[in-house]
Amino acid sequence: MKLLGRIALYAGLTLAALTFIYPFLWMASATFKPLTEVGTLALFPENPTLDNYRTMWARAPFGRALLNSMFVAGTITLSVLVFGSITAYAMARLRFRGSPILNAMTLGVLLVPGQLTLIPMYTLIVQLGLIDSYAALILPYLFNATAILMMRQFFLQIPQSLMDSARMDGMGELRILFTIFWPLSKPVLSIVTIFTFMGSWNEVLWPLLVVREQQLMTLPQLLTVFSLGGGAGSIGVSLASAMVLVVPVVIAYALLQRNFIESMASSGVKG
Amino acid sequence: MPSVHFEHVSKRFGATTVVEDFSLDVADGELLVLVGGSGSGKTTILRMLAGLEETTEGTIRIDQRDVTALAPRDRDVAMVFQDYGLYPHMTVRENLSLGLRLRKVARHEIDRRVTWAGEMLRLEPLLDRKPKQLSGGQQQRVAMGRAMVREPLVFLFDEPLSNLDASLRAQMRIEIGGLQRRLKTTTVYVTHDQVEAMTLGDRIVVLADGRIQQIGKPIELYRAPVNRFVAGFIGTPPMNFVEGRVAEEDGALVFMAEGVRVTLPRERTAPTMGPGPVTLGIRPEDLKVDSSEGPSAGPPQDGVPGRVVLVERLGGTSHVHFDAGPHRLLASVSNYRLPEVGDTITVRVHTERVHLFVGDRRVVS
Repeated sequence: MKLLGRIALYAGLTLAALTFIYPFLWMASATFKPLTEVGTLALFPENPTLDNYRTMWARAPFGRALLNSMFVAGTITLSVLVFGSITAYAMARLRFRGSPILNAMTLGVLLVPGQLTLIPMYTLIVQLGLIDSYAALILPYLFNATAILMMRQFFLQIPQSLMDSARMDGMGELRILFTIFWPLSKPVLSIVTIFTFMGSWNEVLWPLLVVREQQLMTLPQLLTVFSLGGGAGSIGVSLASAMVLVVPVVIAYALLQRNFIESMASSGVKG
Repeated sequence: MPSVHFEHVSKRFGATTVVEDFSLDVADGELLVLVGGSGSGKTTILRMLAGLEETTEGTIRIDQRDVTALAPRDRDVAMVFQDYGLYPHMTVRENLSLGLRLRKVARHEIDRRVTWAGEMLRLEPLLDRKPKQLSGGQQQRVAMGRAMVREPLVFLFDEPLSNLDASLRAQMRIEIGGLQRRLKTTTVYVTHDQVEAMTLGDRIVVLADGRIQQIGKPIELYRAPVNRFVAGFIGTPPMNFVEGRVAEEDGALVFMAEGVRVTLPRERTAPTMGPGPVTLGIRPEDLKVDSSEGPSAGPPQDGVPGRVVLVERLGGTSHVHFDAGPHRLLASVSNYRLPEVGDTITVRVHTERVHLFVGDRRVVS
């Protein structure tokens, strides 16, 4: 009975897992299928081909877009980690004039929906003359209130005696942050890394607004323009370009998966 | 010489005064213990000396140098924390050497000091482990080692033994005392445990509500506490207190309370004692239990009749709790012929050793 129950459980779970992964696997396999085969549900192409990728690469600067995306998402993630943790450290562990106001304002930022600030931000970028530049893509995302609050929450739990020890040992605040707090905050740092990187990597709307130069386009932006603009021509090519977008995120997730799940469990943050 | 001086130091958090007009001189090489209950301000005083807390008023000097406004790293003091404050992601060796590396001490000198501290504290086999892999006592020793390798002017200990179990605490207490005597480094040691204070301190400062109650050698505090707080705080089990009055009877001074009557030795009574309420204090070991029932030998007035309510057998000595009238008292007696619960006993008071308090102050010298 017990064994049967277990088998049923695993069968159910396997089915659920398949439901999740099948569309993705189908997409991956479809990119290697010739046009005549794309319509089938089979997971293995009968006549595998790289034509879809070749076509895609030839029709639009995807290589360049991949580099753009990496540069933009990488810079933003680094900045959110470094400047965000500095802010979070100050908010969590230092006493200074105006710290309650800073706390309240950071929280307040979370209450304002992104859509609301889109137009003012666009106007600002236009006024600054930054349209069609990396700065336009990066500048608005250098700080992230959610990341700051998450790190602040984590930093609050680090024992005071570690800070005291570090001060007695002769460390300044920045050194305490980067040599003591950072190594102890891997769970929260990796979750912030993944969220920020993925958020920035998948961002389409903002790049569409501020970048028109094809050489500056990020991957999802180019993909959108390419597929929706009819540049792809066939579903296989569209899917191939989507794969290029997804693969780096999957790799990043696989690398940081353990930390990611740990911190999801410990911080109670729901994705 | 690295002596430490507090000059009228106060600390306030908003409207709350934690330390009030604190002045104290710690001599070079001395082990001074700050003892008091929670909220007495002892840890705040230590943290102000370390530079981890700012002073609201007053001056702190180390080795004649005004350090009041200096950062912790510029004061040349090292501190051992209650929960050790070891960096969990670094090995013992890294924990020991970090402070020196930050001070740009030469590599061979760092190695020499780490080896020296490792030998002294028996840490050599543990140098490449992380703190999590160590027992509480070992972590404690690493924390001490980290302070030692700095070779500071002053050691600060903030309740370093509170997280250890009783037997380890006793052992570490002896080690700390021995170490301090060997190194002869000026030390300020904070504890709430009066046994630690008594056994370790060259001198003890008893604190309550951010104020000094008494400063003195351990035995002085024990024999001549200046007020009821110190009398009750120093000594285990604590001193017995009985509220009553002193009256003259047949040319002798007699302390009287319901159920308690003690004739006082005349020469020890201060003339300033008025007719108002007086508190008699007597240590448990200065009470002698006559467990024989019925009329006891000797004059009746120096005996206190009581009924035993609890006997705690500790092995070497036992604690006999008894009611004398409305007063619950405690006598510390040897195990020879212990009374049973419910027995009627006569307790003799060592009248040479009674303390009398008027209000809060002790009036018998």
